[in-house]
Order: sequence, then structure tokens, then C-alpha cells
Amino acid sequence: MRRGLISWSRDEVPPSVLEGRVARLQEQMRAAELGVVLIYTSFARPSAVAWLTHFVPYWNEALLVVLPTGAPVLLAAFSKRVHDWIRSVSHVGEVRSAPDLGRAAAAFLGEHLPKPLRIGVLELDALPWPVAEPMIKSEHGRALVDATGLFAAIRQPADEVEIRLARRAATIAVQALKAIPTGTKRASELLSVLERSARLDGAEEVLPRLAPDLRANATLRRLEGDALLGERYAVELSVAYKATWVRITRCVSTQAVPPSWRGAANRFVETVERLNEANLSLEPKNAAWTLETCRGSPPLSIVATGEAPSPSPLPGGSLACLSLRLKLDDGPWLGGEPLILGGREQPSRLLI
Amino acid sequence: MAEEGIDVLVVAGNPWRSDYLRFAADITPVEGHAFAFIGREGPARIIVESPAEAARLRSEQAELDVRWSLSAIEETETAIRELGQLRIALAPLAAVPCRLAMGPLAAGIARATALLDRLMLRKSPPEIEALRRAAVLADEGYAVFRKAARVGRPEYALVAEVEAFFRSRGCPENFQILGSGGREVRGMHPPTERRLAPGDLVTTELTPCVDGYYAQICRTLVLGEPSEAQERVFSVYNEALEAGIAAVRPGATAGDIAWAQNKVFRNHGLGDYVTSEYTRVRGHGLGLYVDARPAVLEDVDLKLEPDMTLIVHPNTYHPEVGYFVHGDSVRVTPDGCEVLTRTARRLFSVPLV
Repeated sequence: MRRGLISWSRDEVPPSVLEGRVARLQEQMRAAELGVVLIYTSFARPSAVAWLTHFVPYWNEALLVVLPTGAPVLLAAFSKRVHDWIRSVSHVGEVRSAPDLGRAAAAFLGEHLPKPLRIGVLELDALPWPVAEPMIKSEHGRALVDATGLFAAIRQPADEVEIRLARRAATIAVQALKAIPTGTKRASELLSVLERSARLDGAEEVLPRLAPDLRANATLRRLEGDALLGERYAVELSVAYKATWVRITRCVSTQAVPPSWRGAANRFVETVERLNEANLSLEPKNAAWTLETCRGSPPLSIVATGEAPSPSPLPGGSLACLSLRLKLDDGPWLGGEPLILGGREQPSRLLI
Repeated sequence: MAEEGIDVLVVAGNPWRSDYLRFAADITPVEGHAFAFIGREGPARIIVESPAEAARLRSEQAELDVRWSLSAIEETETAIRELGQLRIALAPLAAVPCRLAMGPLAAGIARATALLDRLMLRKSPPEIEALRRAAVLADEGYAVFRKAARVGRPEYALVAEVEAFFRSRGCPENFQILGSGGREVRGMHPPTERRLAPGDLVTTELTPCVDGYYAQICRTLVLGEPSEAQERVFSVYNEALEAGIAAVRPGATAGDIAWAQNKVFRNHGLGDYVTSEYTRVRGHGLGLYVDARPAVLEDVDLKLEPDMTLIVHPNTYHPEVGYFVHGDSVRVTPDGCEVLTRTARRLFSVPLV
């Protein structure tokens, strides 16, 4: 559940930017002859609605209704008492109470779409059944179509506002990693320092994963309880700042930094430079890798990975995160950084 | 499953609704969808959306057959089809994605969900033990919160201190909302940039998680000396909490607990403030989900049984002082209830300097 700072700074995210994003979606809707687009949000799948309205649910769920013109309407399963808070952190036209989201959506469609128009739903396959069922069983059921591709087409490349937020998120993550005291012995101590630093810096959320002893196991784990840190360990820190997520991974050695790690860091940079919109299939030797971006409701989803054959296209200028795992002679090395994807024949560049 | 005639139960989940997956397969998804195929002998296969999640789950439980696919829902649909003539059920209602529910399995989702709900309602001794430890952590977390609540600090700094404490104790998850101010405050929300001011009521609901199980505490503090009105209001909420807890026993309904609390408010002429205009529930179940069944509301007739766990909280708006919270976690015992929360039931006061 989200429990970091959720606030809307009009300086950082001007209303006009959000309105511009909604207008782009509406333009696509008109071209695709969609009468409405529905976008579900929960704290697990917040990113599409947040990108359009700046609303991030700390729990519970909501459905954003985007009509071809005008401001979007938020059907919110939250208590009515929370509506003022919702309005204070987001840019929507109307917030409607919708304890039963699916029925409220079906009723809304009945009110606003008297004619049989096509209804786009972002990630229709993934829509929770209690939300989907009343719509599917309504007179509009046959009009529901998937709008995932339509939304993805406008979601990237990132605009300057999003890049600035991502840069802030990355800075929060790096500062948290720098705050790890020398000689930290236990995972609980390490995670406590990361949480404190990132949240005091204004992180909306912090998601740490840890490989406590790199030589024993390089798998990044969600820790419950505690673990002793080995001489070498790795931390992956996913941080959200005003709904923009980045992922950063670092290896830490309690001894002198191994020379092999410097070489690995260089390989990481070379890999980033080779990456661009025309080349999303990396082939680094002895490496596993993943390139992620945000183009739907999940904060980050995979564009390309060494473990799957075909990448999905991503335009130059997109905000993405590259995670790389190398098998070095003296053990594994993990690295990860956010980047801005290069256009055709242009190198990508690290965000910070 | 055998009694219900189910050969394979496919349990869906995600970071928002991970409770059923945790119960059925002892896994907690961090990102993306996850699906567990549960046979009568236990979890048989897990499907997730990323190689990182798959590797993590394999490292947590080496015996699990974990696969990943960028199209995890489609992959799960194919895997269900490959089960052929076996009797398959899909659950829970809250997390089943539309595509899986569109076929013949839709009709059985409610029944399979009810099966899991029944099993998850009464806790086993190890589950109770986890809840007890979570309640201790909630008490300790509230002490950290009180210490962090100082004039001039932004609300989000209080949560940062509590989170740092929970992590230092190996706790990976917490649900926390808060509120600060006076009569204008109508509820709680995630922390904002508002800085605490003298005389503020500071409310919070802390819900740390141990081994997947959440326990909750709700308390209100005052920055500075409480006013006469704040003290008077506290005594009403404390009376309501005590009345609610006194109503917790086997055979009573969730509605009885709500009614006992609401009666106190009505007796004090505050009946308007126990409606949905001002409050959501008078408590709720605790377990692998932070807001588990049953909802403590007057019209909920679910009967309490030993080893059910819940929070009793008469949280609501008060017209004189603003939103006020007060609540304890409890376990139903054979002859009443055990209060898991140990923090004193008082209106805490934090010195201004």
C-alpha cells in the first residue's frame, strides 16, 4: 500500500501538461472511433491514470472515464470523505462515488452513451472481473474493445515534465544508497536506512529488493525478517516520485571495490550507448538483462529481455530502465539505471 | 477442495490482492499478476509476469514450478485449457482478470472464493502467533510515531520514521494513513506536506505485517496540552471502543460490535456521525489482507467464531474537534476476546518543545 508522500505540485506537474496528455488520448479516441476510454487504477496498477490525472490510489480502486471531449471523470470506490483529498492531489473533472465500481461504470455508460459506440478499455484482459462483469453483461458489453495499443501509442516518448520527475526519483534513490553506513552488517539495518532516506526526501513509494550475499545467491529478494549481509551484496531500489518510477541497482562491497566491477560498470555504459529504438535486442556476453518502461497501468513493464526473443517497439526519447546481470570471473555483478532511449542511430543516455 | 469437488484451484493475485496467494501458496507478488495452480496435494505451478519475479519465488521456495510470461494471463488460460477434464475452479473474485473469467469458469468463482474465505477467517495457532507479533510491532511503531510527531515536521516525515523502524525490525509492509489539524479534518489519507502545528489532533492507523499477517492500531494524539473538548471527546470514543470490545465473543455478529459502538455515540447525541457520511466501518477483519472480512457494520450478520481476528475502531468525525481515531486489534476466544494491542487507551499528548 502507498504510504509515502502523495501530493500534487502545480509547478512540477502543471495542469496544462495533464490536459495535453488527455487531449492526445482524446485525439486518438476520435481517430479510432471510440466513444469512451475506461482506465482502471489500483495501487498495483496506478500508472496510466496517474499519467493523465496525477491521481495515485493509496489503496482501493477507481476507474477513469475519458470521453472524447472535456475533463475525465473518476469513478472512485473510496469513501466519499476522501473525495476532497482526491481532488487536492489530482486533476479530474468530477469525482463520483462508486463503491461498486463495475455497476457504477455500467450505469455511467448507460447515461452517457445512448448510441452503441465502441468503448475502449485499457488492458481489458486484466480488468478485475467484479469491475468488468457488470459492463460485459450490460447493453454495452459487445462494444467493449481493448485500448491497450492505443494508449501505449501516446504514452512514450516521455515529456520534459516526466523526465524531471524521473530524475528526482533517481536522485532520491541514489541519495538513499549513499546513506548506507560503512560496515552495515544486517539487511534490516540497510533497509531501514534506505526507507528513511528515501521517504524523508519525498518518495511516494520505495520498493527495495536485496541479494544479501552475492557470492551465495544473486537473486534479488523481497526480505521478510532479516539476513546477514555478505562481503558483497546487491540492492535494487525502485522509487516513485509523484507517480514516476525508476529502478536503480547497485553492488556493494564491504572491502575495496573489486577491479572487475569497474569493468562491469564500463560494460553497462557501453550497453546503454548501443541501445536505441532500432536496437532493443542486446547481446552482451555472459549477461542477463531487462529493459522496462511505463506504457500502461503497471509502473514498469518489460519491453525487452535477454530471456525472451522479440522486443516490443519503443520510440526514441522514451524513459526506460535497464537492469543488467553479468557473470564475472569473481562472481556475479548487478547494475541498473534509468535512461532515455536513443532514436534511430542515436545512443541512449543515462538519466543521471 | 475434495469436499467441493475441485481438482485444481487457480488462485489469482497481484500486489494489491496478494492475500489469497499468500494463503494458498505462501507467495507474495511484488509486481504484476501472479497465478498459482493448487492441486489437492499443494501448489503445483506458479505463473508470473517477469523473470525477476520468477527467480525470486524460486529462491524462496525451490520446490515450486515457477514460470514467467510477458502474457501471464494468456499463459494461465492455456495452462488451464491443458488441464483437460479436471474439475477446475478460479478465485478470488477480487483478483481474477476478465479474460480468465470470460469462459466456463466464471460460474464457479464466487463459490471458490467463499471456500477460501471460510478457510482464511479462523486463524490457526501459527497465524495467531504472527498476528500477535504484528500487534507488538504496531505498539512499538506507535511509540516511534509519537516520538516523531513534533511541531513543524511534515506529515510524511512521521511515516518515514515509522517505516525506518519497521524495516529495522524486518517488517516489509505496512498500511498507514494519518490526519493532522482540527475541526476541518474529516478523515485520514496518505501523508502530505502539511507541517504539524500546536493544538493539532494527529490521528493515525498503523498496520504492520509479520509473516504476511497484518495487525492494526488506531490512536489520536494532541500536540500540546489537550483542550477540555478534546479530553471529553476522547472519553466518548474510549467508551465506544470498550463497548465494541465487550461485544466481541463467539456467536455475536460483526453487526453487534458495530451496534455496541454506535449506541455509545447515539447516547451522546452523536448518532449522525456513525453514518457513511462521516465514517466507513467500525472495524474490520485482520489477516493476510489489511481490510479483511468481516466489515464491522450494523447490517453485517457474520457470526464470530474463536480465532477470528479483527480491529475494533469507532473512528469517525466529531463536530467539535475533527476526525478522531481509537482502535485495538483483538482475537476472538472461546469465551470472549483477547486484546492484542497493548498501547494504553488514552489521548496522548506530545510536548510542544
